[in-house]
Amino acid sequence: MRRWVGPLAALLGCAVAVHLAVLHFAPGFIMGRAMDALAARGVALHRFTAPQRINPQTQSVVRSSPDLYYALCRFDLANPEARVEVHMGGWPNYQSLSFFDARTDNFATLRGIGKDVTVALLPPGSRAGAGEIVSPTTKGVVLVRRLAPDEQRFAAATRAGMHDSCSLE
Amino acid sequence: MRQVVAYLVAILTGCAIGFGSAVAMAGLWPGSSALAFGDVNVNDWRSDFAIGSEAADPYTRARVARHGLLALARSEAVYFTRATDDDGQPLREACIYRLSGGTMPAGWWSVTLYDARSMLPNNKDGALSIDAGRAGGGEWEAIISPEKPAGTAHWISSRKAGTFDLTLRLYMPDPAVLEAPANSLIPPRIERQSCTDRART
Repeated sequence: MRRWVGPLAALLGCAVAVHLAVLHFAPGFIMGRAMDALAARGVALHRFTAPQRINPQTQSVVRSSPDLYYALCRFDLANPEARVEVHMGGWPNYQSLSFFDARTDNFATLRGIGKDVTVALLPPGSRAGAGEIVSPTTKGVVLVRRLAPDEQRFAAATRAGMHDSCSLE
Repeated sequence: MRQVVAYLVAILTGCAIGFGSAVAMAGLWPGSSALAFGDVNVNDWRSDFAIGSEAADPYTRARVARHGLLALARSEAVYFTRATDDDGQPLREACIYRLSGGTMPAGWWSVTLYDARSMLPNNKDGALSIDAGRAGGGEWEAIISPEKPAGTAHWISSRKAGTFDLTLRLYMPDPAVLEAPANSLIPPRIERQSCTDRART
């Protein structure tokens, strides 16, 4: 009986370690793959890409809403001196500017119904001042959402999106 | 030698159990149920208010990465998902459902149909959801079916959806929804009207 104690302990230890490792690395792995897929579909680094209206043929992210306009900007703050200036143009209905890190956390969201929003995104460990947000990870994505549930409003949202910007300074 | 083999088998088995259990418990298995989980349950519409936040436990975090990437934190939006009708049967393309509800405690809301892969069903019907604007104020209803029924103001197409679920988005939710969802939210009802296979009609 005693000779099975060691193998059983090894089995248990490996099971727990692999279980925790999968949970720990899965979000980053999935986010990384999603970012790669977005890049392959033309979502630029440090620039908002004019989106197509979400439908079964254009969707690239799970559970996207067909009623919303989504503009994405990938960021990379590997350089500790870097900052990304983000501007969301005005829109009369619901709109928000949300920030996601490499672990999928939504670390900041700014609502901007009927107004412009400007903010600077700083590398991890930076000290944030007024109008600045510190990213928990060097890489991530900025997302503009606008309520646009039909073709006409999506076209208007696209015109509003021409005033959005996301640039590495 | 036997002891070495025993350790080797134990390590491989342990790794397999650890991997499989994590994948299953986090909903990472291909074709696994989407967001029909969470600790918030209002009439079988389920949500996890930790979505998008650092407070999310590892299972929620992994599940959302797989099924709800880029979801907003609860102060901005909450997401409820339901995969069964009012009788507890799985939602299926073979059936016709009446989805109905009233005013929702949020600045804007929508109900969208997703297939088992958490994607919009691969059809070109242009009828993927209903939202606050189309529903108007007060009571509303929509028909969920693979073919557009005659005389229906609001239709959500389940064509090519297979087994599906519905996601209720509440943007700018009332604070009461976050504090006591069961007391402040009356989610949509999902009444099964008929199925093409009679056994489940």
